[in-house]
Formats: sequence, structure tokens, C-alpha cells
Amino acid sequence: MIEYYNAERPLIMHIDLNSCFATVEQQARPMLRDRPVAIVNRRTESTSIVTASYEAKAFGVKVGMRVKDAKRLVPGLVTLESDPAKYRYVYHKMMSIMKRYSPHITMKSIDEGVIDFHVTTDIIRDRDLVDVGHEMKLRLRQEIGRAMRCNVGISTNRFLAKTAASLHKPDGLDIIDHTNLRQVLTGLKLTDLTGIAKHNEHRLNAVGIYTPIDFLDTDAHTLHTMVFKSILGEQWHQRLRGHEVDDVTHDLKTVGRQYVLEAKNLPHALILQRLHHLCESVGAKLRSQGKQARGVLVYAKTTERGYWHARHMCELPFFSNGAIYAQASMLFAGVPAGIYEIGISCYELNDGVDDQLSLFGDSLAREQQVTEVIDSINKRFGDRTIHAADTLGTGTHVKQKIPFGSTRYL
Amino acid sequence: MNDETFLNERVEVLASFGEGLNPCKPLCFRRASGREVSVSEIGLRHPSTKGMRTIHVFDVTDGGADYRLEFDTERLTWHLTREADHYD
Repeated sequence: MIEYYNAERPLIMHIDLNSCFATVEQQARPMLRDRPVAIVNRRTESTSIVTASYEAKAFGVKVGMRVKDAKRLVPGLVTLESDPAKYRYVYHKMMSIMKRYSPHITMKSIDEGVIDFHVTTDIIRDRDLVDVGHEMKLRLRQEIGRAMRCNVGISTNRFLAKTAASLHKPDGLDIIDHTNLRQVLTGLKLTDLTGIAKHNEHRLNAVGIYTPIDFLDTDAHTLHTMVFKSILGEQWHQRLRGHEVDDVTHDLKTVGRQYVLEAKNLPHALILQRLHHLCESVGAKLRSQGKQARGVLVYAKTTERGYWHARHMCELPFFSNGAIYAQASMLFAGVPAGIYEIGISCYELNDGVDDQLSLFGDSLAREQQVTEVIDSINKRFGDRTIHAADTLGTGTHVKQKIPFGSTRYL
Repeated sequence: MNDETFLNERVEVLASFGEGLNPCKPLCFRRASGREVSVSEIGLRHPSTKGMRTIHVFDVTDGGADYRLEFDTERLTWHLTREADHYD
């Protein structure tokens, strides 16, 4: 079966900053080094931890754990509110270091990226990539700070490179190729593989696949017809063997934001103000990508009824904060009581180029001009210099947080 | 919870402007109370903005406490905006 493994030279490098936000804070504040640190998005005891330092993780502190639970494990835990500007700077520094090695880099999120050495110069490609990996670690320490650490994984495709980067944390450097693929997978669980969480694990277990080696030894037909019931089966077959199937870009499908209310049982009027704030934020994100939307979805999570949502699709695309809020507030009229989280997203996006003349051309042109002027003022004098009057006091609660996942807004 | 104290204190800063990746290095600063603080390490310098104004944020330490200094590139002023010194 080994003849099906990708035997080419590994030229994909995955770089992952270790416990990124906590490490950046420890870099910025030397007194925090070697101490258990947790990064949170809100200064309350009931909030969840976004990132924990390795010192905190050693005591059992995990991402997603509530601060008060973490402090039971580590009474001396230092909790810090996230500082997106700082993390954004480190992200851009990391990206600039990566770009020195290849023009083909992909930032997967704020703390990880991939370098493809297939398309770089011969001088760089002919170097030992292990040396390049160590050099990147050194540059990270020299150009950002000596407390910075990263994991480097090298392989023939993105999936195995990411797997390699997770083998020895923190500060590891590993290679996976056709010679050690089976050996590496032998030491892993199914859920250690990126893309295999509980749901997919159950699917695999149902056909007798309990380990990554079982998964590797399963043929593509079985994965297609019995496990994933789609082309995903073939893709997993290729992916596990080191062939590239993940070098794809995805179009922007939705733009959204959510907010966990600062207190339970807030009056409906105050919740609407926070919804309005979210609408303004979503509108700005939408326009920053040069998009318009046709659909709006609002949701709420309630203590008694769980998840509630409502959506509306318009005939014509829209882009202004006012248009988004008009629809969101209308949909929100049917929201149940006992809300603790709200969210909004715009969908059915397009590029805003419409050659067909509109009957409402004048009013649309005016709305566009007003929106552009507001955006330019906010860009010049700072976010939310101009905003809706009823969101005057919401800024202290609804703050911009770290954009996980997408790097579009960094 | 958080040990930080948030401030907006105008300070006098002695800084060197040289070469390299981080050409601007605050060396010491004098607080409004007259107390002088010597910077023993610059943890991180990152740019930020206030509207179109670029602010360089320096997270520094004197070995006993961490401080945040902000340099306004348009107004050429320094402010001490954070102090953190109680960890235990």
C-alpha cells in the first residue's frame, strides 16, 4: 500500500505560534514570563478563557474554561483582557517573515500560516527546510522578541504539515513524509487529526475505523460510500497519503458578529441598542470587503428555549448600517425572553456591481454617498466617530475582539 | 482579576533613536510625581492608531513592574497608559 503515499520531497511548511495571545502578552510584559497567564475577552470571573499560557496549561487550564474554574486550579492565574492591536502586529510581522521565503503563503488564522516552497526561488528551495524552519524561529525571536516560540511542521501537503506542527509543543519542528507517515499516525488518536472531531469520529467508528492507521488503510471507495457519502471520502484518502487537496481559497459567504450580553435580563430596549451596534459593525465589515448582501439572519440564545433565529431575504441588495438594522430589528420583534447571547449575519453576498438601472436609483445613490462619507470619517478619526445615537453607550460593552478563523479583517 | 492600572499620565521620556529593527528605544521616563523609572527591557513595540494618528505603543519593564508607554507621532508626546506591579 506504501506505493500510494506521496513520495515527493516535503515542501509545505506550517508555522503555528504557540499559545499565541498568551505568548505575545508574556513577550510584551516580561514580569509575566514563566507565570500562568490566561487571556479573556471580558473582565469578569464567569467569562471563558481564549488562550492559556503553557504554564497555565500545565495545571490543567484549558481554552474555553471559565476563569473562576481555572482559578480553582491555579489561584495565582493572571488574567488579561485581549489586546487585538498587539496580536495583529505580531500576525503582520510573522507574515512578513514568511514572505521572505516564498510568494505563496497562506495565513490560516491570526496565529498560523503555511509556506509553499514549490514556487519559490531555486536558492531557497534547495536549502534544507529543517534549517529554514530553525531560521524562522530565530527571526521570530529577533524581530518580535525573545519569548516568542512557534511550532514548525514540514510535509508534502497542508494537512500533514499541520499535523507535524502539532507533534511537539511548544517550540517543536517535525517532518512527516512517506518514510515515517505510518509511524507518526500510530501515535495519534482520530481526534488528533485536523477535521476529525466527535461527529466524524462516530462516523468512522461506525465502519470499524478506530485509529488513524485504520483510517489510512481504508480504501477511497469505502470512505466515499460508507463514511462521508461524498467526494470528501476521496479527499480524505488523498489527504492522509500526503497529496494536496486543501490548497483552495473560499469565497466570503457570510459576514456576521455575535455578542454575549453583559447581564442577564437586560430590558429589550437595551438589547436592541446592542443589536444596532452589531449591525453597524457588520455593515462596516461588509463594506470593507466591497460586498453587498441580500439576506439578514438574527439569532438569540435563551436560557429556557435554547437557540432562536429568524431570517429575511430581500429582492435588492443592501449595504448600509441603516438597512441592515431596519431588517434586523424587524426580525428581532419575535425574539423570546431570557436572552443571554445575540448575533447577526448577512448572507447572499455579491460584489455590488449591478448594471441594471434601478427605479430607486436616486435614493440608493444618496444612501451610498452618505455611507461612504461616514466610513471615510470613521477611517480618518477612528472607529465609531460617527454612529447611531442609540448606540452611544454601547461601546463600553460591545468591543471589537480578536477575529478568529478568517484573516480577512486583520 | 487583572492587575493593571489604567492611566493617562503625560511623562517625560529619554529615548534613543538609532538603527536596526527597533530604532526607537525609551531608556527612562519621569512620572508626574517626579519618580524616575529606568527601562531595563522593551517587551514589545507595536503601532496603533487613533483615527489617522499613528501611536507607537511600548510595553516596557524596569524589572519590578511592567509599564505601557505611548508615543504620539503627530503630537510628539509620550503618555504612560498602564502600570502593572502586583502579581502575587
